[in-house]
Amino acid sequence: MSIEKRMLARELKLIAARPGDIFKPMWFLILVISMVPLALAPDSDLLAEIGSAMIWVATLLALLLNTEHLFQSDFSDGVLEQWLFLDRPLAWLVGLKLVAHWLFHVLPLILITPIAGLMLSVPTEVLIALLITLFVATPALTCFSGLGAALTLGSSRSGILGVLVMMPLFVPVVILAAGVLIRATDGSDTLPLLALLGAFSVVAATLVPIAVSAAIRLNIGGSN
Amino acid sequence: MGWRWFHQWGSPRLFYERAGRWQLVCGWLALILLVAGSLWGLGFAPVDYQQGNSYRIIYLHVPVAFLAQAMYAAMAVCAVVLFVWKMKLADVAMQAIAVMGFAFTALALISGAVWGKPTWGTYWVWDARLTSMLILAFLYLGVIGLRAAIQDPDQAGKACGILVLVGVVNLPIIKYSVEWWNTLHQPASLKLTEKPAMPASMWVPLLVNILGYYIAAAYLVLGSMRAIVLERERRATWVKELVGRA
Amino acid sequence: MIFEPIQIEISQLRCERDDRLLFKNLSIKLESGQILRVAGPNGAGKTTLLRTLAGLFDIQEGEIRLNQQPLKEYLERILYIGHKPQVTKDLTVLDNLKFLTDVDETALKSALSAVGLKGYHDSLVKELSQGQGRRCALARLWCVDAPIWILDEPYTALDVDMVKTLDARITEHVANGGVCLFTTHQPPQQLDYQTLELGHVD
Repeated sequence: MSIEKRMLARELKLIAARPGDIFKPMWFLILVISMVPLALAPDSDLLAEIGSAMIWVATLLALLLNTEHLFQSDFSDGVLEQWLFLDRPLAWLVGLKLVAHWLFHVLPLILITPIAGLMLSVPTEVLIALLITLFVATPALTCFSGLGAALTLGSSRSGILGVLVMMPLFVPVVILAAGVLIRATDGSDTLPLLALLGAFSVVAATLVPIAVSAAIRLNIGGSN
Repeated sequence: MGWRWFHQWGSPRLFYERAGRWQLVCGWLALILLVAGSLWGLGFAPVDYQQGNSYRIIYLHVPVAFLAQAMYAAMAVCAVVLFVWKMKLADVAMQAIAVMGFAFTALALISGAVWGKPTWGTYWVWDARLTSMLILAFLYLGVIGLRAAIQDPDQAGKACGILVLVGVVNLPIIKYSVEWWNTLHQPASLKLTEKPAMPASMWVPLLVNILGYYIAAAYLVLGSMRAIVLERERRATWVKELVGRA
Repeated sequence: MIFEPIQIEISQLRCERDDRLLFKNLSIKLESGQILRVAGPNGAGKTTLLRTLAGLFDIQEGEIRLNQQPLKEYLERILYIGHKPQVTKDLTVLDNLKFLTDVDETALKSALSAVGLKGYHDSLVKELSQGQGRRCALARLWCVDAPIWILDEPYTALDVDMVKTLDARITEHVANGGVCLFTTHQPPQQLDYQTLELGHVD
């Protein structure tokens, strides 16, 4: 079996062994969204106005929460160092891991956002735009938070440092996605912004795994 | 991790001694320029017809804002030198610049807020330049935090290098996206390609001060680099002798 | 299988970690059929040396050559088993091996029988004892065709029978033209090995 297939098979088996990993971020997302009307007011017009932005930020946080320890257990078990002996470049394997993570952990999160949208009375056309922006933007977000996770691997007291370090890099993605949502609310053309967002994701997905692999190699080189 | 200096120039002891001399030169030069530029700018430059005397904060705000951005670029150059030539001094510079860069960014934010009060009537507005400066501050904090979290200086240096390089690629994207998000600010008052809108009696002292702050930054970075070299080389004989003498 | 002749040449290797010189001027030659035990007190740099040889650490100073070629070209011919578990607790014994090796299931199952894990194929590693977990990690020695073995503390948590089995397997491996480097604090009785003593650097 090729390494690629083995990697995906392993991810699937790990999910079967730890299903909570998928549900906890979804749970977190819905819980945060439930807090919004409680903190604001149960006024559906008001909620609809800020709803899509709230859902975007909450999804971002859930994704970060989810990705923070992406490589941690493989690193401490010493399985990650075995990746260096597999007959593929480390950046490629990292890319595979990120793809698997996006498919099995981020995608479920995106698929649950319509429920959050209903909770905040987000209009359907905005909800569709929200789903599309999340589809297009999350690959970049996943890559960057993976980099945060890899950079802080070797430090036992890093806490949420990986998240703090990577968050500023999300600014362009958040701004572009918000732009799409605003245009969707107005009913104007969202395609140019979506194209930009997609381009950002593609470039990030190509280049960031190289940085992640460098960070992993670095941390393997520093551990005993 | 121990030190291997690939270039004779990069020998920690030699650097420590030479940097001491450069620091002295920079210190005096910066002092002269800053006193001259600030006195001129604060005391003798004409009053702005729109903003009155409050515009004079540019003699602090503009130089530190320039430096805040330039220092991130300088850090990126250091990161490249670290990875390409494996020169440990570049890592020392990166560590020193990260802290100083954050300090200048904070100063730019604070002076911007102080300037904002008389100009816009509030300390903080989500204006494009203030916002990207705020993000820049977070980027610097990330570099400082990452270094603090990793024990081995060599490893910490490389991790910070990766972060800085990823950051410097993203910085223009962040800047443009923030500008696109908000284009409500007055246009940049000093651009290298255009003739500045200010009269010479205003911008000449500003140039003097910009130069003064740049040299002062060099003074601070050199001083902090010397301290870091001493700390990292604390087990070397020359450091022990030096500290013993003091 | 019989391996082609191998020559590992370490010359003038030097390594410092956390401001401490672990070794310098380290030069060794190893050839097919040889077993090298890296010995020394805790913190002497045994793991560091093995990880440098496995390509996990960058060489700080000096050179490691395999058949006159730089080490980096040979990484796929190295089987490294570190002192970390090297297995994932939430996966079964068989699934762990399936990920790390590209061997068909029959070969995996016979390897597992060799290490005494027959009947545990579908047990999760977290359900096993520490010694059994170690056996699972070591099972790769019975099914992967890498000529160079680098084993960090392979005997930890193993019972007397398994130690014998492992010794026999190492002997068989070097008889086929392989090379084995390992560290341990309990010198094995049934192996014919050379010793490299670390920890005498000022």
